Amino acid sequence: MKQLNKTITGLVSFVLIISGYNGFSQSAQKASVNIAINYFNANNSIPHLVVNAKTRVNGRFQPVGGIAVKLLLDKDSAGTTIGKVVTNEKGEAASFIPPSVKQEWASSKTHTFLAVFDGNNKFEATKADLTIAPARMLISTNDKSITATVLQLKDTSWVPVKGVDLKIGVRRLGGDLPVNETPTFTTDSTGQASADFKRDSIPGDSKGNIVLVAKVEDNDQFGNLSVEKTVPWGGKFKYVSTFDRRTLFGTRDKAPIWLIFMSGGVILAVWITLILLVRNIFAIKKIGREAR
Amino acid sequence: METENNSRRDFLLAGLAAAGLVAGCSPKKSPFEEAAAAEGAKPSGKTVKLLSVDGEVVEVDEAFLKPVPHMPPVSNEEARVGIPGKKFVMVIDLSRCKNLKKCQEACNHAHELNPGHNWIKVDPMQGAEHTAPYWEPTTCMHCDEPPCVKVCPVDATFKRQDGIVLIDSDRCIGCRFCMAACPYSTRVFNWGEPDIPAEIKSQPYSAETSIPQKKGTVGKCDFCADMTRMGMLPHCVSACPNGTFFFGDMNEDSVTNGAETFRFSELIRDKAGYRLMEDLGTKPSVYYLPPANRNFPFESGLENDKTQNS
Amino acid sequence: MENSIQGEQIIQDLLPRKFKTGGKVWIGVLTAICLVGAYAYYRQLRYGLIVTNMRDYVSWGIYISNFVFFVAISLVGSLITAVFRLLGVKWGTPLTRIAEMIAVGAIMFASIIIIVDMGSPERFYNLFLYGRIQSPIIWDVIVITTYFFISLLLLYYPLLPDIKILLRFKEKYSPRLYKFYRWLGAFWKGDHKQYLLSKKAINALCIAIIPVAFTIHTVTSWLFATTYRPGWDSTNFGAYFIAGAFLVGAGGVVVAMYIFRTWYRMDKYITPEHFDKMGRVLVLLSLLYLYFNINEFLTPFFKMKESEASYLNDLFTGSFAPMFWFAILTGIILPVIILLFKQGRRPLPMFIVGIMVVVGAWFKRYLIVTPTLLHPFMPMHDVPSAYRHYFPSWEEWAIAMASLAGTMLVITLLCRIFPIIPIQETIDHNHETVK
Ligand code: SF4
Ligand code: SF4
Repeated sequence: MKQLNKTITGLVSFVLIISGYNGFSQSAQKASVNIAINYFNANNSIPHLVVNAKTRVNGRFQPVGGIAVKLLLDKDSAGTTIGKVVTNEKGEAASFIPPSVKQEWASSKTHTFLAVFDGNNKFEATKADLTIAPARMLISTNDKSITATVLQLKDTSWVPVKGVDLKIGVRRLGGDLPVNETPTFTTDSTGQASADFKRDSIPGDSKGNIVLVAKVEDNDQFGNLSVEKTVPWGGKFKYVSTFDRRTLFGTRDKAPIWLIFMSGGVILAVWITLILLVRNIFAIKKIGREAR
Repeated sequence: METENNSRRDFLLAGLAAAGLVAGCSPKKSPFEEAAAAEGAKPSGKTVKLLSVDGEVVEVDEAFLKPVPHMPPVSNEEARVGIPGKKFVMVIDLSRCKNLKKCQEACNHAHELNPGHNWIKVDPMQGAEHTAPYWEPTTCMHCDEPPCVKVCPVDATFKRQDGIVLIDSDRCIGCRFCMAACPYSTRVFNWGEPDIPAEIKSQPYSAETSIPQKKGTVGKCDFCADMTRMGMLPHCVSACPNGTFFFGDMNEDSVTNGAETFRFSELIRDKAGYRLMEDLGTKPSVYYLPPANRNFPFESGLENDKTQNS
Repeated sequence: MENSIQGEQIIQDLLPRKFKTGGKVWIGVLTAICLVGAYAYYRQLRYGLIVTNMRDYVSWGIYISNFVFFVAISLVGSLITAVFRLLGVKWGTPLTRIAEMIAVGAIMFASIIIIVDMGSPERFYNLFLYGRIQSPIIWDVIVITTYFFISLLLLYYPLLPDIKILLRFKEKYSPRLYKFYRWLGAFWKGDHKQYLLSKKAINALCIAIIPVAFTIHTVTSWLFATTYRPGWDSTNFGAYFIAGAFLVGAGGVVVAMYIFRTWYRMDKYITPEHFDKMGRVLVLLSLLYLYFNINEFLTPFFKMKESEASYLNDLFTGSFAPMFWFAILTGIILPVIILLFKQGRRPLPMFIVGIMVVVGAWFKRYLIVTPTLLHPFMPMHDVPSAYRHYFPSWEEWAIAMASLAGTMLVITLLCRIFPIIPIQETIDHNHETVK
């Protein structure tokens, strides 16, 4: 959660500003919407932006869908448009960076993304911005020790960055399990941070492969970066399914054999008797007809 | 809310990171292919040009450009068997709970539940007269030998291979035997017509989202099977500001509350985790960590309790 | 015994009669109750079970109590017949038809009330499409169907000779009823071969119905005993239910005996001697049920397990105590005391005792279902306060009463078309006695 503090602080100030503003425009009856931009880059490939829109309803934040947000790079002019996105029902929208801003991208080593919402009949217009220095991350492993490096573009070359907090973990469902007790590492003057792998026999896939992840989260300068590497350090996981066992809590085609035989036997025995007794009625009938 | 975003973003990263594996060696090829292929997308043949972090132009097939994952609802057959190779597990840390009920709020909101229809309940517990009281959130325990499933006459509630117990509201006949059989009293019934927006009501029922709830059928916590299928955390887990709920895959031996991730076996060992009513042999999938070294005094939760339990 | 009654006289006495004013009023009242119930059920269908006062904790209410009650009553109807016939208890002859009719009526409404209790009755067919043999409900469905079928056969076979007699009085019935009789039994000629076949069938039925009757009530008890709930989690439950069923069934038969005797003036056929003997049977059954009750409550009371303590206290001294002690006293203990005296076994006191037994039994069924549900393992918390207690809504009462009225209606109609007392058997029996 810590990594979000910045966003939260930003949001809170936003709320404060906007709620103040609301005081003047009570008659407008429009709600204010908060917009936040986040920058992501995984494995040093194509960066993308995620826009989050939410509004406060009865003191709780609710996502706002269907909001058209214009994204711009550095300045509001014709050549710097990244794109126009519309938030989904979760209040999210994402965009890549198109080649049309190639020149603008190359012109500077830091960039400011602008998000502009022009307002609609329900919500007031608002803006947000985010300043990012494009960076790369590297991950290398050596005998159960992992080294992550953070590099920033200076002039024309990528140079190491010192003092960046990062996490090194094993990819797991819903979160990354730190590779040892240390929750975060900080890069040294070579831009590197190293961690020893202490998760022996953590289950991997069937071959024992696990995915190591190094990530920088919500960094003021660099946004969200991550890089990963697959290594065969995990335990070999063999999936033994008990799903097809015949049990009392199985589905109906997986009823225990003894139960099927027992119930089937009883039902058959009784119903055969009953059918015989019904046939008996017809036998009596027949005698009756013959007696006539 | 903030934590919820967090988990979503984590997932975004996951999708792209996997894609990046390919990108790492040959950045000019479709870096999204792998991630998208995993989601079942096929190359469309149409490509778009995008800018990489180095300022280079990269060509990517359009079909793979789905940064926010979208999963079509799975079929009833798929929802009934579950995800192979997984065994979902939850750990609830009682020392962190102060009855804020954010989990309940998020759950009710996500599943379109009516007031009073709580799938998550937070009970004040006290073992004996002189023992310390504490707050205990309860969900469906997703028992491995579920008594509710044993008694269901029509397979309307069923156990999946990933451990989740779900309900098929299109089949449930409303006999409520499962409610009587569940010792954890976790099941709720739609006694009347649920009050939900028309556009949601008209959706086809999905056992994984449990939406929409239907009159005359039973409902309960579904471990957010739709979220876990997408690799995300259940709503209660991301909603708790105190990180009380941990969720994970037992086969990966890890649980996370979104911010902290622990090795499941170590966590349970070190904190002496336990399950509720072990003696009944239901083998729950929900573990509890004892309310030792509490983050909050019990009394701090009382205020919030008045609203609903007058 | 009035040995002097002659065959023709017996026939005249026992032929089904048209309803007189009293009968018509009775039918009218029952139909009215049923209609109110039907309206309540319409409301329940329309708005859902929300019209009942059942909620998430008390998820089963008087519908299920009624279901258990019906199963109990029906069980003994047939069981009495079977046991009497097999043991050749001659004095039981006049009672068998009544018992069979009660059985058919009660089992019909047992299955109806269970459908009424369902939240989505329109999906009833799912039981056949997707039925899982692991579920006790499916066992119950199978057993009830079987039992209903056997009860019908057991009503039908002994009727055949009577229908032959009925057919002799064509002028007494409407053409349609006459046709119906012909359809039912015109083929019965009283031929010796027919008689032998029928006798064999009745014997087979009497044997078959005993295990099936035991099963139906045991399986019904398992709907409760297969759960973990305090008060239901008991290995005693099958026997406990069956003992209770014997008692309430016998009580029901006694009540019916008295009513038929007075209304249809059958003093000659249902004599004080019958009441006396049924009285002795009732004492025995009450004591048996008392034994099972002690067995069921004393041992948990002795231990006072934490999970059961509040449930037991609620029954013995808490909010359910008045009903609990009422049910035990009126349903079991007082009948024993009254019936121990010869005076107590005369028709009228017997009638009152019968009613006490039946009413006590109904409350007993209520106590089996509801208090347990109000004492779950987990605290009743985070729910609206209405969920924490239970008193049936008017719709529930209306439907429950309608199901009781419906049973009586079925029984009444059955005695309108069929002789309440087996004519042929009475004649034969009389014959033997005269000889
Ligand atoms: S907690 Fe209850 S509803 Fe959930 S699986 Fe266990 S028995 Fe079934
Ligand atoms: S209420 Fe529905 S899910 Fe529960 S046992 Fe009955 S049919 Fe099955």
